[in-house]
Amino acid sequence: MSGFEDFLDQFAADVDGACLFSPSSSVYESFDDLDRPLVVVGPENTVSADDFVELPLEFSNPTERVRFGIEGAVQQGLVDEEMTLLCALKSFGDDIDTVMRVRAGEFSRSGVYDLFVNSRAESSVVRNVLEVAVELGKKGQKGKPVGALFVVGDAGKVMNKSRPLSYNPFEKSHVHVGDPIVNVMLKEFSRLDGAFVISDSGKIVSAYRYLEPSAQGVDIPKGLGTRHMAAAGVTRDTNAIAIVLSESDGLVRAFKGGELILELDPEDY
Amino acid sequence: MSSGHRSTYPAQIDAPGLIRDLFSEKGAVAIAVVVLVIGAIAGYLAWRGTRRFLVSQGVDDAVEGTLFERTVNNVGLSTVGILSQLMALAVYIVSVIVAVNVAQLGDPQLFWTRFVDLLPRLFIAALAIILGLIVGDKAELVVNERLKSVKLPEASLLAEVVKYSIYYIAALVALGQLGVATAALLILLAVYAFGLVFLSGLALKDLLAAGAAGMYLLLTQPYSIGDEVKIDGTRGIVQEINVFVTHVESDGEEYIIPNQRVFKSGIVRIRG
Repeated sequence: MSGFEDFLDQFAADVDGACLFSPSSSVYESFDDLDRPLVVVGPENTVSADDFVELPLEFSNPTERVRFGIEGAVQQGLVDEEMTLLCALKSFGDDIDTVMRVRAGEFSRSGVYDLFVNSRAESSVVRNVLEVAVELGKKGQKGKPVGALFVVGDAGKVMNKSRPLSYNPFEKSHVHVGDPIVNVMLKEFSRLDGAFVISDSGKIVSAYRYLEPSAQGVDIPKGLGTRHMAAAGVTRDTNAIAIVLSESDGLVRAFKGGELILELDPEDY
Repeated sequence: MSSGHRSTYPAQIDAPGLIRDLFSEKGAVAIAVVVLVIGAIAGYLAWRGTRRFLVSQGVDDAVEGTLFERTVNNVGLSTVGILSQLMALAVYIVSVIVAVNVAQLGDPQLFWTRFVDLLPRLFIAALAIILGLIVGDKAELVVNERLKSVKLPEASLLAEVVKYSIYYIAALVALGQLGVATAALLILLAVYAFGLVFLSGLALKDLLAAGAAGMYLLLTQPYSIGDEVKIDGTRGIVQEINVFVTHVESDGEEYIIPNQRVFKSGIVRIRG
């Protein structure tokens, strides 16, 4: 038995800080007298912690969740890249069951945290659009897989640099992503060709939009189609981000600054 | 109030007289007892009915946590219980009065003038106080909940103001019902309301103007997101339009223009 305890002691030895993922208040309070940085990561700051990183998505994959939390903590300056952190999270059950030991600088920066927090659009808007895309990917349109392209933020410039393919069904409407009716509406309109344009505050500005970015020098993985190329191009030319649901492989991808930032499988959510 | 009562007097006083004519003296007393018994049953039914009605409307959940509920809980009562007992009490008292009248114990004239005048007022006053305490407390909770995201200590002042305003009005209603001279308090209320309207009008003048202009802009959309426009010498691409402001961006500079300025200066749409 002592070998086991030695292992645990070693595991927790000279850790510079801790990350708690969605802790209950009793767990959080048990860390109260910790003299090292303590960061709480979760969808909501339920324990009113001082150092808090908001999780915009319930990443089902634990490593994704840890990556997002630590990237956020580093970006907010709560921990620095040299630190070794102990991360406690829930993988299977409703209680904390997994402990990871990671170095904060160990990841190559993926920019996932950037995507949500440092985009022009509000992070709740980005989250809502991602949720719509994931839902669309899961159910498809009447059982058939569909593709969709959402351009979020910097809507003025995006609209200025694109042209309509047909009449805009959202003209003079004031719907925002996150309104309950919108998911149904977007699902119906997803059979239309072209892109959806969504403003910084989440207003759906247009559908049926033909994006005309120059794809010159856009570097995205080979094998992705024109929809992804257009998405990458438009995010390079403007300050928008693009969220794409692929028709062929059913994955949701997010682009920013012409680069692929995030790849999600809708079936995991 | 008094003229209304006078006209109903004969009918009400005739009822016992009629009974007296129909039955003997003893019969009248017996009927008075019957009335009392019926009153007791009706009172019980009123208590149960009110209680059930209030619970079915979710009143017991709604008042949970308010000051009044907590206070009465301390003495082993509940808001719903008090309200329904009040209701039952009203029925009991009415039946007692009717019985006394039928039996002609004492001077009926005295009863009708004193009690009938005072009783409903007492009830309304009590109800006003209870309702005022509950609504005031509830309003404070709601306002506080709304302002939770604003982490300013001054924000809780607003909730207090709302609470005490409601208390004040409830007290005014109650005192008015009891016939206490409330003229001075009423004037104070009027001054307070006027001050509130006047000051908020002064403070919200620009916001109201922007909102009115914004309504027009949102409804008719003379320009929309993505158009290149010139507003008041500022040229750029429209990024966002909401009720109060329009965001116009050019070369990395974002201008946030109040909508009344859009309206005043007019819009130049640049077609390219």
